[in-house]
Amino acid sequence: MDESLRAVADPTRRAILRLVRDGELAAGEIATHFPSISRPAVSQHLRVLSDAGLVDVRPDGNRRLYRWRREGLHDAAAFVEEMWSDSLARLKAAAEREEWPQRAAKAGRKGTRP
Amino acid sequence: MTDAETTVVEQTVRINAPPETVWRYWTDPERMCAWWGAAAEFDPQPGGVCVVEMGNGGVMRGEYVELVPHERIVFSFGWDPSEGAPAVPPASTLVEVTLTPDGDDTILALRHTGLPVAHRGEHAAGWGHFLSLLVAASSDAADGASAS
Repeated sequence: MDESLRAVADPTRRAILRLVRDGELAAGEIATHFPSISRPAVSQHLRVLSDAGLVDVRPDGNRRLYRWRREGLHDAAAFVEEMWSDSLARLKAAAEREEWPQRAAKAGRKGTRP
Repeated sequence: MTDAETTVVEQTVRINAPPETVWRYWTDPERMCAWWGAAAEFDPQPGGVCVVEMGNGGVMRGEYVELVPHERIVFSFGWDPSEGAPAVPPASTLVEVTLTPDGDDTILALRHTGLPVAHRGEHAAGWGHFLSLLVAASSDAADGASAS
């Protein structure tokens, strides 16, 4: 599998890419967006993104700053992976939203959520 | 194109809705635009056209190959040539979607085959341009969907 495809196949790494899309962030700042993930795990994700050429890294004092490397996602498969992932998340949300009133009526007091 | 030059993208999503509802999001243009593209035009029957405008100048163009109501959709997939559009010509790749009921849920499995594997550096400028437009157009909705 292509390296960039492997890199964007992971939802956490896609979330990191969105964070650094519009500007540089330090590794520590990125980690605060993922409270349920350990710092070493976030560092590992950043390393995968960096190795795949999807983010640029530069040192700033004792920090490392990350920024999305737009030209990194040149691979058609990586692009399509990202497109389907975002789109199917919206499909899921829309279909469940449509279904919810009927489900709620049927479930009565079961308290199911969309 | 040989197998060595293409790759496959596979994704699976569990949706808390029956296959009949999920099916409508693939066959009703209005519902499709709630999750994919800004405008859609299609004729859901084998050989019928499937065109989705991405809202940024990009146009996905394909043809339905197979439709089994509430179970399976297969269509060809590519982008019209335009500045910044990914180098996937119309109808050059194949998307297979299967819907499997599981209790109150539907398991949606998507398999996109025949995608060209680019060499590093190829199409670089075009991809970045197209991607930034696509992400800008779609990320608000995606953020909303995943914010729960």
